[in-house]
Amino acid sequence: MNPDSNIPSTGPKPHMNPYLAGVLLGLVLLASFLTLGVGLGASAGIARAGAFAQSCIMPQHVADSAYFGTWGKDPLRYYLVFMFVGTLLGGLVSAIMGRRVRPQLERGPTASRSRRIVMALAGGILAGFASRVASGCTSGQALTGGAMLATGSLLFLGAMFASGYAMAWFVRRQWQ
Amino acid sequence: MITTFFGQDGLGSSAAFVLSLLLGFGFGFALEQAGFGSSRRLAGIFYFRDMTVLRVMFTAMVTAMLGLQLALALGVVSPEQIYFLPTIYGAQIVGGLLFGVGFVLSSWCPGTAAVGLASGRLDALIFLGGAALGSILFNEFYGIVGPLATWGDSGVKFMWAAIGVSGPVFALLFSAVAVAAFWGSEWIEKKVAGAGPYLGSPFLKAFSVTILVGALAVALLPPATSSTTVTAPAAVSETGMLQAMEAGEDHIDPDELADRLMAGDSSLLLVDIRTPAEFAAFHIRGAVNVAAADLPEVLGPHKNKGTVVLYSNGMTHPAQARDSLARMGFANAYLLTDGLQGFMQQVLKPVSLRSTPLSEAQAGKVNAWRAFFLSGPQSHAAKTVDTASDTPRLVETSWLQENLGRVDLRIIDLRPQPAYNVGHIPGSVRMDVEHFRGAVGGVSSMLLPADLIARHLGLLGINLETTVVLVPTDKLQDATLVGMALERIGHMRYAILNGGWEQWVAEKRPTDTLLPTITATEYPVPTGADTFTVDYQQVLALSQNRGAVLLDVRPGDFFAGKKSDEARAGRIPGAVNRPFTLDVSTNNAVIRFKPSSELAEAYAKLIPSKDSPVVVSCRTGHQASQTYFVLRHLLGYRRVSWYDGGWAEWASRPELPIETGGG
Repeated sequence: MNPDSNIPSTGPKPHMNPYLAGVLLGLVLLASFLTLGVGLGASAGIARAGAFAQSCIMPQHVADSAYFGTWGKDPLRYYLVFMFVGTLLGGLVSAIMGRRVRPQLERGPTASRSRRIVMALAGGILAGFASRVASGCTSGQALTGGAMLATGSLLFLGAMFASGYAMAWFVRRQWQ
Repeated sequence: MITTFFGQDGLGSSAAFVLSLLLGFGFGFALEQAGFGSSRRLAGIFYFRDMTVLRVMFTAMVTAMLGLQLALALGVVSPEQIYFLPTIYGAQIVGGLLFGVGFVLSSWCPGTAAVGLASGRLDALIFLGGAALGSILFNEFYGIVGPLATWGDSGVKFMWAAIGVSGPVFALLFSAVAVAAFWGSEWIEKKVAGAGPYLGSPFLKAFSVTILVGALAVALLPPATSSTTVTAPAAVSETGMLQAMEAGEDHIDPDELADRLMAGDSSLLLVDIRTPAEFAAFHIRGAVNVAAADLPEVLGPHKNKGTVVLYSNGMTHPAQARDSLARMGFANAYLLTDGLQGFMQQVLKPVSLRSTPLSEAQAGKVNAWRAFFLSGPQSHAAKTVDTASDTPRLVETSWLQENLGRVDLRIIDLRPQPAYNVGHIPGSVRMDVEHFRGAVGGVSSMLLPADLIARHLGLLGINLETTVVLVPTDKLQDATLVGMALERIGHMRYAILNGGWEQWVAEKRPTDTLLPTITATEYPVPTGADTFTVDYQQVLALSQNRGAVLLDVRPGDFFAGKKSDEARAGRIPGAVNRPFTLDVSTNNAVIRFKPSSELAEAYAKLIPSKDSPVVVSCRTGHQASQTYFVLRHLLGYRRVSWYDGGWAEWASRPELPIETGGG
């Protein structure tokens, strides 16, 4: 196969077959189970970055706080922080290879810039908060726990899509 | 057999960090390859126009699920080597509902936003900033939302066990559903958006067959290492303990009790069989107080209904009571493992003081327990006073009240005996400062040698682990002198009750007139703990050292030589005066140390640096013990010595030089 010859050299390459991408993702997750002994995760890395940022401004407050305080002086010394950095790097390499690095604010054709920014920020705050409540996100709960067949993680997956679909109708104009 | 980093407790190692980085790389690479660097594409699943998310996610889950079930069935890895996520019903359902809203609003989730950022998406960066902010908000409101994160904690639970099949069989069912979902998603995508590129394609047919055959093979594989592979995951913790208990164990563990109390389990009756005074001082939230003799009568209505849990400080009395109840036909009486002491250690001990590191989930649980069982503001003080090496030397009345009843706490009331007998803090013992000093080597009023002090502490039932709280008289120096005695034998777990009895009573805190039950111990006699006491020869040498500060804490008239109760009037040459009375303040008979900031300012004018050698002295060492306490423990001066003999000894040795005047 030499797909390069068929594709204009400036445009993005097509994505991988989603089923094969899923197999690849599943194999990475399985490798994580069998080597680290834990699954994949993303939200903990973000939360720890948040704790770190806050402790730069108010170190004592963070050290004394009930949740972040338990992460010790150096919240970034944690395997999921390293995993998050790896995720960024892996995404970057893949995006460069596929010529898909496109600096932009991605939004629907009728959505304004400010509307998109507000939606991304509000969604981020909610998702960040929710992932602390549930100790995980799409990766750490739904994907990891789902593959383990853990009852609570499968319920998280179900609840996530249930409220997602319920809410989707209200914000449908974002992408129309 | 694989040993994982989790299995050897090595997730904090550098090797695990490097491996995490590599796995993260694979994770990000796969996500980006799937097209998840685009929020528009991710949003597609919610509008049935691009079902890529469903395909990738379900394929990944099925792949890892079958791989894991296969590895477990073949015995490649044992369940103990893998961290199975606990099921926390409330947290995961509420968290999932909130998360779904965040997902659809932003069209990102944490992992995909990382690859979105790598692809240059500004909205991914905004999402990530928001998610960090959301985490900070969770931390800020942890007091309110923290209990949610442990709400419905049920330990490790598997869906397959819930419906009564084996893991591999459930994985087969799941795979079949996934294949159906793939076909369905292709179909609906075609209907809605005219896409559905793989519908009916040879690829999807072959892929579906491969998954189903693979899942069937895993399900039909005989478990290689007997039944453990199938049942072990569930038996690792909770289930096993519960089964053991049901099998006839007569105890309930503190963490289980805590969880059930927090969950508001109405079938549980918690009975405290200690004295009413101890109960009044502290008890586990939700407990009722019943005297042992009254148990059969009071518990009659609860005979073989629900669960009755008995506790006392230790385990002996509840065990006897339980056996007695069992003989009367109570099959539902249990005792709390390790009693109140075990509960303190396992449930209420702050995360920061635990010797073994806790996972995030465990730490969150402990914090939730503490928030439930200890109300409010004391957690800070408790955090500090428990530390053996660095006990704060002053504790507040609120802290003491909340820690009453702790078996590793001994309160020593230094007030006169009549005052103690009329009323004292529950559980406290009386001791007089004079028990710790006497004539040593011909000098009167000297602190006793270490072996005698150790004997005294042993008689009070104090051991190396005991935290001693001293209730001062109207002279704070009584408490600080007893503190010197404790330090002489190296017992640094002690603190002085700031404000003392007067403040305790003014705040209407509990008191009683009962004598505590004490079992004497043998306190081991240490050697070499006292590095701070100096004799007159050392003081003489130091008085000729220009860098050293000799601090005479007697009243000004005695320092100046205008008044004297001793052989000679005056002071040690070169000494400076700082009366000990200046360090305390009295307000409505409540005596407290002045604020540290005020003290620090005053002493900074007298002592060049925190490392300057300082000798404190007075007439007999009594008042100087208070200044020692201030300098060493409240202000952090590092080289403070204490001249116990004081002016009484110095004046009696005619060969020693003196100085008078000034003051």
